[in-house]
Amino acid sequence: MDSIVIKSELGSDQNYLVEKVGQNLWIKFQDQTWCYEIADLSAEGQRRKKSGSATPDMIVAPMPGKITKVFVRSGDEVTVGQALLVMEAMKMEYTLKSDYATKVENVNININDQVTVGALLVKLAKSE
Amino acid sequence: MLKFNRIAIANRGEVAVRIIKACEELGLETVLLHSEADIQSRAYRMATHKVCIGPAPTAESYLNIQANIQGALAMGAQAVHPGFGFLSENADFAQACTDAGLVFIGPSAESIRVLGDKVSCKGLAKKAGLPLVPGYEGDDQTIPTLLKEVDRIGLPVIVKAAAGGGGRGMKLIKNISEAAELIESAQREARSAFGSAKVFLEKYLDRAKHIEFQIFGDSTGNVVHLFDRECSVQRRHQKIIEEATSPSLSDDLRRQMGEVAVTLGTLGKYKGAGTVEFLLQDNKFYLLEVNTRLQVEHPVTEEVLGVDLVKMQILTAMNSFVFSSNEIRIPRGHSIECRVYAENPYMNGVPSTGLLGTVQWPEGPRRRYEFGFEKGDTITPHYDPMIAKAIVWDESRPRAIEKMIRVLKDATIFGVHTNIPYLIAILSHPEFINGTMTTRFIENNFAEGLKSFHNEDDRKKASQKIYKEMLLQGVGFERKQALQSNATLQSPWSTYWRGV
Repeated sequence: MDSIVIKSELGSDQNYLVEKVGQNLWIKFQDQTWCYEIADLSAEGQRRKKSGSATPDMIVAPMPGKITKVFVRSGDEVTVGQALLVMEAMKMEYTLKSDYATKVENVNININDQVTVGALLVKLAKSE
Repeated sequence: MLKFNRIAIANRGEVAVRIIKACEELGLETVLLHSEADIQSRAYRMATHKVCIGPAPTAESYLNIQANIQGALAMGAQAVHPGFGFLSENADFAQACTDAGLVFIGPSAESIRVLGDKVSCKGLAKKAGLPLVPGYEGDDQTIPTLLKEVDRIGLPVIVKAAAGGGGRGMKLIKNISEAAELIESAQREARSAFGSAKVFLEKYLDRAKHIEFQIFGDSTGNVVHLFDRECSVQRRHQKIIEEATSPSLSDDLRRQMGEVAVTLGTLGKYKGAGTVEFLLQDNKFYLLEVNTRLQVEHPVTEEVLGVDLVKMQILTAMNSFVFSSNEIRIPRGHSIECRVYAENPYMNGVPSTGLLGTVQWPEGPRRRYEFGFEKGDTITPHYDPMIAKAIVWDESRPRAIEKMIRVLKDATIFGVHTNIPYLIAILSHPEFINGTMTTRFIENNFAEGLKSFHNEDDRKKASQKIYKEMLLQGVGFERKQALQSNATLQSPWSTYWRGV
C-alpha cells in the first residue's frame, strides 16, 4: 500500500491510499474505498468506448457460484419479478429475477454449472 | 484433571485463529484440520501442526466427521475444538470424538441432542413451563402438511433448518402464494449446509428484539449465566452487529431471562459455553433456541465481563475450571461487535471474492480485531463471507458506537469489497443509536442496500488522475515500469520533491 498526494481543485492536499491488487487499482480516501480495473484507468482505457455493459435483458451472474435451480426455458413468457434461476455462493442462495415482462430468448446454463462473475446466464427479449 | 497438550481445531478463518491464540497462551500445541482451499490463511500459518482433511467443498472436508477425526488422531491431538458452524453442534461428531478417545471441547453429545436440536429443546422447555413461540416441529415434512401448518400458525411464518443456525436455510413466508417455493428453498439450503433437510415452522414476531444469554457450565456441572447480548441487527436472519449488554432490558427482565437460561442449561446438563436465545416483544420474552457452542459474538461478553470464554472452554474440558461461589459478576461499560463481510454494499450485498491486498486495522485502546485472512490470502466463494470481526469497548453505549464508527472509517481492506460502509450507516441510524431497533430494522431501513452518493463519472476521473500521478511518481509499481512511464511524462514537482 502506498500513499499519494493530489491537490484538490481548491488547492488543498488530499491524501489517497493506493494499491495495485491483481488487475485492479484499489483506492481509499478518508472513509471511502473503491476500485477500478487498471485497464480502465490507463490512457488507452480512457479512449476505449464503454462496451458490453449489462442491460436488463442480459441476466448475468452477480458473483461466482453454482447454479442450483433453473425455472425457465427459451421461449417461455416471463412476468415482472418472476424468478428465472437460483444460484448459490458462500452458502447463501440468490434468486435472479426478470425486471420486466418479456420472453426468454436463451438459457445459457444448466443446473450445477459453476459460473464466473459477469457470465451471461439468461438472455431475455428486449422490451418494446 | 484431564491432561492434554495438543488440541485439534475443526474449523477455519477467524475462529480458528481465536482458538489458536487461546491454546498458545495456555501453552498448548494446535493441529489445524483444514481444507485444500485454506492453505493461504492466518490460521494455517499460526497452527503448530496442520493436516489437510479434504477438498474445498464443506461436505468433503469441514463437515466430514471421519476426516476430521482421522486428522486429529494422525497428528496426536488429544482434544478437538469445533469452533462455531460446521460440526460444532453435531452430536454425532461429539460422540465420534469421544469414541475415538478424543476430548470434544464442548457439551456432551447427549446435551447437544437435548438442547441443540430445536425440537427436543422446545419439548424440554415446554415440560419445564418456559415461554415458547407458537410453531410446528413435526416429523411430517411433506409440503402439503407444512402448508397446512403455516395456515394454522398464521402469517408471517418463519421456516428454519432443524439442525441449523446462523441464518442458513431460514426463510420468511409473508404470502401463502410463495410458501411452497420458500419451504423448498429452505430445505435445499438446510441439506447443503447441515446435511439434513428437516425444517420447522414458527410464528414470526414482527417487532421483536433478539436477546441472548451466555451460559456456561463448569467442570462440576454448575451452570451460570454471563449476562446478555443483543443481536437485533440482522439481515436475512444473519446477525451483523451485536452488543453487550442489551440496551433494552430492565433489571427485572434481565433477572427473569437469566433464570430461564440457567434453568434450561441445568436441565440439559450443560458443560462449557452455550447461548440461550430469546425474542423479546412488548416486554414479553420467548425462548428461541439454544446454541450448544461458542458464539460468533462471544467477544462482546468477554469485553464487558473481563473473561476469556475459549480458555474457559478448554479448561472445563480438562476438568479444571470451577466457578468460585463468592464471585460477583457485574458487566462494566459497553461492547459492540461488527461482522465484516466480503460483499459489495452498493450492489445489495453481492459476495466479493479474490486476492486480498492490504488489511489494516487501526490500533487503539479497547479495540479488538478477529480476522483469519491477510494480504496475499484469497477469499474464495466456498465459505462464509464473514472475513473479520471488529470489537470495541467503551464506558457507555454512545461512546462505544462513536468508537466503532471511527474504527471502521480508519480500517483499510483492499482486494475485496466489504460491508464497512453499510455498518457505518447502521451505526449512525437514529433507531440504532436510541437502541429501539428490532429484528426488522434492516428490512425496514436498509432493504435496498446502500446507494452510493458519489457521481460515478467524477470518481472515475479522480481515479484516472490518481493513476496518472502514481505513474509519474513511480508509486505502487515496479521501479523499471515507473521509469519507463516517466520518460515522457516527467513532472517538475516530483523531481523537485525527490531532491529534498
